[in-house]
Amino acid sequence: MANYSAVLDDVFAALSDPTRRAVLRRLGAGEASVSDLAADTSMALPSFLKHVRTLEDSELVRTSKKGRVRMCSLRRERFVLIEDWLLAQRGIWEGRTDRLEELVVDLGKEHP
Amino acid sequence: MNPDLDLVIERIIRAPRPAIWKAWTTPELFAKWWIPEPYCCRVEWFAPHAGGGFVTSMSENGSAFTPHMDAAFLVVDEAERLVFTNAIDSTLRPANPLPVAVTGEVTLVDHAEGTLYRIVARHADARARARHDELGLSEGWGSVTGQLARLAEE
Repeated sequence: MANYSAVLDDVFAALSDPTRRAVLRRLGAGEASVSDLAADTSMALPSFLKHVRTLEDSELVRTSKKGRVRMCSLRRERFVLIEDWLLAQRGIWEGRTDRLEELVVDLGKEHP
Repeated sequence: MNPDLDLVIERIIRAPRPAIWKAWTTPELFAKWWIPEPYCCRVEWFAPHAGGGFVTSMSENGSAFTPHMDAAFLVVDEAERLVFTNAIDSTLRPANPLPVAVTGEVTLVDHAEGTLYRIVARHADARARARHDELGLSEGWGSVTGQLARLAEE
């Protein structure tokens, strides 16, 4: 359960940003190059690349080189995780409960 | 309870009620568990009394923070019960939070081994469904939900 919660936390963190959601929407229509995606935003390329990396780390997006161009595409299999959104919310709360429990039990050991 | 919209988590935590209450209502402690590593949580505003604000932000690198939660406390009964919602923000303005509006209810009950910790999260569904449609992901995933449920039960 802990691993599963961590995965969901990553996915939701990736989805929590409007720029990243715009990228996902665009990729829903088909693959696109990093530079084309960046051009859709008013953002400098280095800042935009951070968003691409976050999407890659959450495995919502994969990138690959085609010649000199880096292409992005959607990893649709990952969206399975948020299909059942209630289950996803449960994952987030289970993770929070795990961490809260760990913290209060540790504090109890320090100050018995 | 609406089983399509609400969830309940119950856990026996081996600590007394005041210790859990402290971890929930002390900003420095709250920041340690609210958001998972490697993300860093910053508590912007935390006024644990009825009508008080509850604002957190998160960061991937410890310098650039983005908004995470902007909510208000509805009920704060010392070491017993705490209710908050992001359906109104920390200034008591009606809000449309992403990914979904939630009312979270925490109750603490004495238990032989510590405390029975109970979370009830009641959700509005409109935003979650809308986001799903917005991303164009609505079709073709129904069959895998069962697989996912089994994964979560492992």
